[in-house]
Amino acid sequence: MKTDDINSSTPNWASILGVVAIVLGVFLTAMHGTETMKQLVIPANMPVSGEMPEADCPLDELEEEGISLAECEFLVDHVKGIALSSPDWFPSTMMTLSLIGMLLAFASVIVGGAMVNFTSWSTTSAIVIFAGLALVDLLQFAVVVNSGPVLRDIYLWSVLLWFLLHLMLLVGAIAGRDHQTAQH
Amino acid sequence: MQRQGFNRAVVVLHWLLAVSIFFLFISSWWMMALPLPSQELQFRAFPFQLHKNIGITLVILLGIMLYMRFKYPPAPPLESDMSPGMHKISILAHAAIYGLIFFVCISGYLSSAHTRWDTVFWWLIKFPRIAAADEEMNEFWGELHTYAAWILLALVAIHIAAAVYHSFRNDGIIRRMMRW
Repeated sequence: MKTDDINSSTPNWASILGVVAIVLGVFLTAMHGTETMKQLVIPANMPVSGEMPEADCPLDELEEEGISLAECEFLVDHVKGIALSSPDWFPSTMMTLSLIGMLLAFASVIVGGAMVNFTSWSTTSAIVIFAGLALVDLLQFAVVVNSGPVLRDIYLWSVLLWFLLHLMLLVGAIAGRDHQTAQH
Repeated sequence: MQRQGFNRAVVVLHWLLAVSIFFLFISSWWMMALPLPSQELQFRAFPFQLHKNIGITLVILLGIMLYMRFKYPPAPPLESDMSPGMHKISILAHAAIYGLIFFVCISGYLSSAHTRWDTVFWWLIKFPRIAAADEEMNEFWGELHTYAAWILLALVAIHIAAAVYHSFRNDGIIRRMMRW
């Protein structure tokens, strides 16, 4: 027997915005989670002396990983390069922002679902969450701009892209709310 | 009276699985670019153990989700939302995704089981060794794990595209998995 359990009066804009928020939210939660782990793992495993040991590249491991000896040695240089390029304040600041971003991104999954159902609290919550995510992007942008060229190359384009996506979601939610208000 | 949408526990588990799967993909690309392990270079230890922990947890969560899914089945979608033919295809696609998640997790565990590294589930429960270290078997299961993961990613992309399609149509399909 069919019930009217599922809200069928969701406006199109809310349905689309909700699903886009969910898809991006799932992806961003994973990205921020990975970033948090990066900032936790790299500084914690750097040798105290600051001198990186020689890469350990046994032939069987190279075959298993499908990499050359030069690539294997580069993996060590790569981590060393990132550590050298990071100012002292960078890992903790980036980790804090990533943690906040991860929580907000997961909240955007919940809010996206609420928008698809067009619950009474969904639009206002979406505006708050999307604004929070855009703010985290802006802060990360400022952090990375103040680091160095290596980290700017790694992070800046991605942070900018996320900022633009969150700005679009935010403007979309505000426009939807205003449209809804005008209709009533 | 049967509910139209999925059971709320299934909905919560679905989104937890989604986040975990994307985390496993994205973090694995990064962790494979960390230096190979040696006595002095231990960058991979934590990310690999976390990868295994989440993978094993995924199998458990997926098992619970499927149990709940069959115990509290949703009503079939309305024909105006999805034709019966498309519904059959979607069931097959979902079955393939579930099967691949199981396979990717199990092949990953079997690959790891043939290395010298132990599995300590969430750093608490040490799993007994099920096999001796064997480079060939590690590579065999590792390759299956990798290729199956790529296929899973492709199916997940199709799954997302279908969800977006239904959200643009604004039909009742998408709300079946959004019961807040």
